[in-house]
Amino acid sequence: MSLVARCQKVAIALSVMITVSGCQSTPTSLYHQVGEQAGLERLTDAFINQIGQDKVVFHYFKQTNVSHFRTGFISHMCAVLDGPCQYQGDNMVQIHTGMNISEYDFNHTVDLLIAAMNEVGISHPVQNKVLAKLAPMRRNIIKI
Amino acid sequence: MPFYFKKGCSFIALSMLLIGSVSIAVKAKTLTIVDQHGRPVELAVIELLQPVKNDKPLQVAVMDQVNKQFEPKLLTIVKGQQVAFPNSDDIRHHVYSFSPIKPFELKLYAGTPKAPLTFEQSGVVVLGCNIHDSMVGYIYVAQSEAHFLTDVQGKVVLPDNTSSYLLWHPEQDKELGERSEHIWPQDNSHSKVEIELVTPAPRNTFGEMFKDSHGN
Ligand code: HEM
Repeated sequence: MSLVARCQKVAIALSVMITVSGCQSTPTSLYHQVGEQAGLERLTDAFINQIGQDKVVFHYFKQTNVSHFRTGFISHMCAVLDGPCQYQGDNMVQIHTGMNISEYDFNHTVDLLIAAMNEVGISHPVQNKVLAKLAPMRRNIIKI
Repeated sequence: MPFYFKKGCSFIALSMLLIGSVSIAVKAKTLTIVDQHGRPVELAVIELLQPVKNDKPLQVAVMDQVNKQFEPKLLTIVKGQQVAFPNSDDIRHHVYSFSPIKPFELKLYAGTPKAPLTFEQSGVVVLGCNIHDSMVGYIYVAQSEAHFLTDVQGKVVLPDNTSSYLLWHPEQDKELGERSEHIWPQDNSHSKVEIELVTPAPRNTFGEMFKDSHGN
């Protein structure tokens, strides 16, 4: 079966799902490719653990509420990866203002996220697409 | 040099004498609060049950956010008083209270001050920050100006007419906000009260979760 045909089939199946259950992600969405809600939860837990073991950026997070971060990070990722979520939290500027994050620390944190994606078995092509979504946020996060 | 030293000493001795005589003249009562191990308890609130009439205008009190901590950790005010919540940190804080006498949430972004809040009911307000769970603070809202805090030695000097009082401490083994009532022992100028303190529950922070990887 060709990819197009497969996509069409899935799309039809999906439109049925939409009428049944309302809002779902399209099967080709990045949200779907990282394993939807359960996949994002696994990824975020792995990311939290990476940060927790890290010497370079841990100090930013030391007093941060883990549950609040986890919920906010998952829902933000879900929205950014075109999943069925409305992110209600503060925007990137509001969150990271005053932290004065250096370029080095930003890159290091991205490396921790990559390590987390490897850990939960997200494929490299999907990882690249995720990173491409996050990269433009850099200017709203660093040096503010 | 020895001469100066001697002179300094006699000066201190003299002032101690003076302080002694003054406190005798005022005839105050001294209360000491200790915990179950006999250690002095600082920052216990003592509120007299015979309220004084307040004629001074109420100032706006301040509960600041400094280095991801409430500053002060415990603020005492009188009911009807306003409290400002500035943010001296460069980062944001989301300060909240679930306490029945004053539930609220204040999103404090750097450089955008919020209007002060008025605390109309007496009692205890516990403060937290949604973003930084390490932050815990308290506002004790007293009925009147007749409230006092114990010092590092667990001591507080109370007016001579003290007959009964409420006692509260944030780490007491009680419902948060629950205050105990005490009667001053007759004909005594000193009283010592023991309270049971508990270690506060660990916070939901990265620091707590990963303390084995980082020490303190
Ligand atoms: C593309 C990269 C990044 C994204 C998408 C991102 C996203 C987020 C989100 C959504 C939250 C809010 C979680 C909540 O609701 O509590 C958050 C919080 C936070 N972020 Fe980022 N972040 C990024 C990079 C960084 C970097 C590089 C650092 C520091 C090295 C950092 C430090 C923090 C900290 C410390 C918090 C917790 C809030 C606080 O303690 O004030 N972030 N981030």
